[in-house]
Amino acid sequence: MYRPRVIPTLLLRNLGLVKSVNFKKHRYIGDPINAVKIFNDLKADELVFLDINANKENRKISLEFVKNVGAEANMPFSVGGGIKTISDIKEIINAGAEKVVINTFAFENPQFIKDAVNEFGSSTIVVSIDVKKRIFKGQQVFVLSGTKPTGKEPITYAKQMQDLGAGEIILNSIDNDGLMSGYDIELIKKVSKEVEIPVVALGGAGTLSDMSLAINEGYASAVAAGSMFVYHGPRKAVLINYPSKDELFNFLNK
Amino acid sequence: MIVIIDYGMGNLGSVLKSFKKVCDNVIISSSKDEVERAKKLVLPGVGHFSKGMKNLKDLDLLDLLYERVVINRVPILGICLGMQLFSKFSYEGKVEGLGWLDAEVVRFNVEDKLRFKVPHMGWNSIKIEKENILLDGILQSELFYFVHTYHIKCFDNKDILANTNYSYGFTSIIQKDNIYGTQFHPEKSHGKGLKIIKNFVQKI
Amino acid sequence: MENKICSKCILDSTVPEIFFDEGGVCNYCKINDEIMKEYPDGKDGDGLLSETVKKIKKHGKGKKYDCLIGISGGTDSTYTLHLMKKMGLRPLAVHFDNGWNSEIAVQNIKNATNILKIDLYTWVADWEEFKDLQVAFLKSSTPDAEVPTDYAIISVLLKVAANENIKYIIEGQASRAEGTTPLGWTYHDGLYLRTVQKKYGKLKAKSFPILSIFRLIYYFFVRRVKLVRPLEYIDYSKEMAKNLNKRELGWKDPGGHHHESIFTKFFQSFYLPTKFSIDKRKRECSAKMRSGLMNREEALKEVSTPYPVEEGIVDYVITKLGLSTKEFDEIMKAPNKSFLSYPTYFPLIQSLRWPIKIACKLNIFPHIFYLKYGVNHTKSIKNYWEEFNKNKS
Repeated sequence: MYRPRVIPTLLLRNLGLVKSVNFKKHRYIGDPINAVKIFNDLKADELVFLDINANKENRKISLEFVKNVGAEANMPFSVGGGIKTISDIKEIINAGAEKVVINTFAFENPQFIKDAVNEFGSSTIVVSIDVKKRIFKGQQVFVLSGTKPTGKEPITYAKQMQDLGAGEIILNSIDNDGLMSGYDIELIKKVSKEVEIPVVALGGAGTLSDMSLAINEGYASAVAAGSMFVYHGPRKAVLINYPSKDELFNFLNK
Repeated sequence: MIVIIDYGMGNLGSVLKSFKKVCDNVIISSSKDEVERAKKLVLPGVGHFSKGMKNLKDLDLLDLLYERVVINRVPILGICLGMQLFSKFSYEGKVEGLGWLDAEVVRFNVEDKLRFKVPHMGWNSIKIEKENILLDGILQSELFYFVHTYHIKCFDNKDILANTNYSYGFTSIIQKDNIYGTQFHPEKSHGKGLKIIKNFVQKI
Repeated sequence: MENKICSKCILDSTVPEIFFDEGGVCNYCKINDEIMKEYPDGKDGDGLLSETVKKIKKHGKGKKYDCLIGISGGTDSTYTLHLMKKMGLRPLAVHFDNGWNSEIAVQNIKNATNILKIDLYTWVADWEEFKDLQVAFLKSSTPDAEVPTDYAIISVLLKVAANENIKYIIEGQASRAEGTTPLGWTYHDGLYLRTVQKKYGKLKAKSFPILSIFRLIYYFFVRRVKLVRPLEYIDYSKEMAKNLNKRELGWKDPGGHHHESIFTKFFQSFYLPTKFSIDKRKRECSAKMRSGLMNREEALKEVSTPYPVEEGIVDYVITKLGLSTKEFDEIMKAPNKSFLSYPTYFPLIQSLRWPIKIACKLNIFPHIFYLKYGVNHTKSIKNYWEEFNKNKS
């Protein structure tokens, strides 16, 4: 029976993992390779690594890092961070990643998505869309780690990316990020209804019930989370965790 | 020696890594000489069907593969696109395949487009249709990692080793004599995927 | 070098500073006797423990937490958590994450704190900084490569205790089950750490504390932080603790002692035995022998087989530390040294033997501090490694 994927999404700043709240206040979480090892043991479905400073610093995610993850990970993983050329993607895939995640550059140069899909196939190209509510302007797509507004509305933008051939969309709510009080279900539902490709919900997950809601009411094909898998308890102690097979079965089966 | 055929379709690193866990003598190669000497073959692949066929043609491997696999009966394991290439025809590009299986490759045609998004991406289980050593030790409740937009449709039921359900049933594992194929990625499916690779390496 | 084994336990000549009395009994058995006197078990032990718990409760009235417990996910600290909760305390669990947590350790910590409903606080060291310090210690060629972790843990516990205004730190040490670690096998102090870091390291440690001796004095004398070891007062055995942990706290056994850390697993099973001929199992077996839980034959049998090394762990550790095979080979082949080859507080501690004895008597420092560091082992340790290196080449 098909079970929607549950995906830990880890943010990289320099060489360490960090976690944010509303895309700010980044807190150090630890060594990424150790996290991969633990997620391996916990049999996580898939991993996503996003280098949040890559674009700002005019570089792409470190290939050395991707190779190290590739050598350790037993599950599929995607990476993103400053990807701008076909050869970037080629190098990253050869280093071991299954898919690449493109955010800012999809907005700056949409044709790139089409070219990348032609070269590598849809299922390799993921577009990540960060959404924030602006006062009097409704929800809008932001790029450059949530610092630059695009003027684009999420549903139209998602459709555009689908038409260019993207295989999957990661839909991230900046407003709910790091708060662990639930996904933006309305946002997820609106976008999922409009596109035929899988939509991965991200931003705000605190419990398995939140995830269940995103799937059943938001029609998300997969659920991703950051804080929920790295924090534990009221003091937000750093502890890598992942639901057990039984927990996943009970909460998420169609 | 096992040869994982490199025809420029996707990353072979994880495939090699998994095979190396159960076998020392395995290499990645596109050389005709090494493909000819191989005792077993692996045809992995991610990407467009027509590109896959073109690349195999450009590497001048079509005749050699036919000779080794169909005539000499060298065991071969096709993974994802690799398995699809064994068919006669694919609607992805409307191109002919290797023709070793009486089958064609079609796009997912789901009714409930809201609940069943395409590509089929994620973990799903298999329904075993016949006994085979490739699936020794695999239970029907095990989940494997799928990522594909097109799926194979066998015209000869005897070739179907397992089916999977995603809005409707489709064939996820094929087996015809020495030809094996999985739609999912065993190299990315944790322990049970590794078991299938182990069975292919050690028991077939 | 002829190997002499203690007649009461199985510590032997691989302990550089070991010496024996006329009966062939080693100095560590003597230290252990002293500790047992200090920490009676049975009815007396129960009494003392209850007294201490009462004091903790009284002092912690009106505060959110009345004590702090360091946890690693291992047998002792998990059991201690359970024991303190059972006795009615309201602890804050503190975990120091140095980047080496195994999945089992993490699950154990999660389950125990969940089930016992105890708040957890983690202090995460910056991995690049910590890695740099660990590699520095490997390059120092001493058996003290766990010093960064050991010292950081104490520093973190003291710092968090002070920040949270908690007076009592509960430690999961169990001398009966573990035995004291010989000085020649493990030595640590803040100056030693800083010296090695400066000499062989490239980064400065900013993300975790390395307390200076002045800070330590401040915490113990001015803030009057107290270290409590409840496991010393009870009839403690690792088997009993493991069983309870498994039954009630969703706990899984990480394997050997301290194997909840991947680095420690590598360190104890491969690094120490291969480079220094040090087998820490002798320490645990000796402790069990002294408590009557193991006889001589069983103990000798256990250490007669080589320490099992998990497949792939050496490669994993070398890669994670960013060392090339060549660099690692050089480390393994380098002549062995001890803490005496570097500036440390040891000479200072030695010269302050008498004031320390008094402080221990007044319960300001734990008594074992005096017993371990009060004797001058400088010559024996120095001679031992000189001889060892000569024989090795």
